[in-house]
Amino acid sequence: MRRWISILVFFYFCLVPLSAQDKVELFGYFESQIMGAEIKGDFCQLYTNKLRVDLKSSISKNITFAANFDFITYHGKTKWDILDFLSPSITSTIPQGMESYYVIPFSNRTFLDNAYIKFSFKHFDLIVGKQQISLGTGYLWNPTDVFNIKDMLDPTYEQPGQNALRIDVALSSVYTLSVLYSPDDTWKNSAKMIQFKGRISHFDYSFIMIEKVWRFHDYRQFDTENMNFLELPEKRQLLGASTAGELLGLGVWTEYGYNKMEYSKDFYEFVVGADYTFDFQTYMIVEYYRNTLGKTNYEQYNINDWMRLFTAEQKAVARDQFYVLIEHPATDLLTLGLSSIYCLSDNSLALLPTLNYSLSENVEIIAYLNFNFGQEGTALGKNIGNGGLLRVRVYF
Amino acid sequence: MKKIMISGIIIMLLAPALYSQELTGEDIIQKVNELFNPQTSYGKAKMTIVTTSGSKRTFIYESWSKNRGEKNLVRYLEPSRVKGQAVLMLNHADDIWMFFPRTQRVRKLATHAKKQKMQGSDFSYEDMGSGDAFINDFSPKRLEDEKMEGNNCYKLELTRKQNSDISYSRLIMWVIKESFVPVVIDYYDEDDPALWLKRLVQSNIRVIDNIPTAMKIVMYNKNDNTQTELELLEVKYNVTLDDNMFTERGLKK
Repeated sequence: MRRWISILVFFYFCLVPLSAQDKVELFGYFESQIMGAEIKGDFCQLYTNKLRVDLKSSISKNITFAANFDFITYHGKTKWDILDFLSPSITSTIPQGMESYYVIPFSNRTFLDNAYIKFSFKHFDLIVGKQQISLGTGYLWNPTDVFNIKDMLDPTYEQPGQNALRIDVALSSVYTLSVLYSPDDTWKNSAKMIQFKGRISHFDYSFIMIEKVWRFHDYRQFDTENMNFLELPEKRQLLGASTAGELLGLGVWTEYGYNKMEYSKDFYEFVVGADYTFDFQTYMIVEYYRNTLGKTNYEQYNINDWMRLFTAEQKAVARDQFYVLIEHPATDLLTLGLSSIYCLSDNSLALLPTLNYSLSENVEIIAYLNFNFGQEGTALGKNIGNGGLLRVRVYF
Repeated sequence: MKKIMISGIIIMLLAPALYSQELTGEDIIQKVNELFNPQTSYGKAKMTIVTTSGSKRTFIYESWSKNRGEKNLVRYLEPSRVKGQAVLMLNHADDIWMFFPRTQRVRKLATHAKKQKMQGSDFSYEDMGSGDAFINDFSPKRLEDEKMEGNNCYKLELTRKQNSDISYSRLIMWVIKESFVPVVIDYYDEDDPALWLKRLVQSNIRVIDNIPTAMKIVMYNKNDNTQTELELLEVKYNVTLDDNMFTERGLKK
């Protein structure tokens, strides 16, 4: 209660006077969401309320300040035991006495998601602070984006801000060079990125190099000192490229990332996709994704693969996946869709009927169901839990 | 002498009529195209969509155009749901990029995306930013002049050229004789030239910077029984626009 009073006081004394100034914009959204999944015959539910408050101020012609605060409360089933979703062949490998550690908690959060200053000049932009980093051309998967992992059920949802310093230099109207530095405890552990973007005819292309420490965990060993699973930091050097353009009337894109690892085996990720809008307004996307970190036989999936997937440390447990999305505006306010992910490596399939309804100018309703059809133990197995999500979002 | 004077007066009186008769479909559409595509322009517009249920959705956006419509940038101001979203169209909308501010993501769209409705309105991206489409994608034929919306008009039929991928098989256009503003445009189905899809009506014409400008534009969708009204809140022509505006960096501003 005291925290909420503090937030309100903060709002009153900081944001209200700011919004009263010229050139300061205050906007954002409130969303209320229920997410459910069937677990062992029960339908478990997690309710989320999220208030996002955005602030944007043009301090001068060349300087912009932008920030957003997120306030999130969770209700209902706020502790999800990952072992409930895994097959006995995996759960039987858990060391005795460690079963209670495989729980993902959802705790109320209040945080500064993004806060940055942007300096814009004729030939370059400089952005300093916590900011969104979006890399790559893929829709569902982005091999070159080592900063974010998209939610496969909700790929267009915003990603958390990253603390960074970024410079975008215009080499010409077509070519751009971007350099990014995301500081960690030492220079050596900090993330560095350099990206070159250009265009040939109707094709955009980019080349990218990133160095970043990948902080994944060994979910079979517990670090009692930190009261968490043992962290296994490892330097990852990515060399990648991406394209986006048009071929035979289709929108097409590709994205490739080769990852040189400090200790583990090197791996690569690759995406190729296409989209099209039919004359009758139906829109379709297809995308194929390969990740050689993923495995070709589902019997090889282990607890580390699953936990790294659920905690968004890695993008997939399986090697090859295929995605299809079909959307159609049923009316001018209602869009219906169906998406499907097919895992070629283990023959599992998920189907997601989706709905997007514009209730009023600034109110939208989003809903989807997800049904998994793979056999137990596969990437999209029945035991993962059929479920769905209903979200109402009000923009202000 | 008297005879010469009378002949002169007759010629002066008949000249506009003779001139208008001499104008071919190509001449008229060329003038319409020049009017539609000034060297540079800035506009602020309010777009009101009347949905099938009768409810309204209102959007306010700013747009900038350069090189006679070859480069276009549209940025939404309202409502909050789409605030900051922007669309960049280059090469007469053959290259399109869309910017989503909450994710800071820029997506390159293929030309098929031009068929999509702009924010669910009755205007497609193709209708909004095709620049030289009237000339590049259609062959004009002048029909018999008609009166339309109270104006003396040239009537034109524009038939899609064979190599064009535009979404309409033909257009019928009524162009005001005095100003060359197309007061009404009818759009016909891509595959069925007899199927009438939409009607665009332009009104409240004002001369801004010597360019006759329709301040109110309404698109009626005959199939869905919906309509979208565009009201120009502010228009400026021959403004100075930096080329940097029409780049990915400019899109993300």
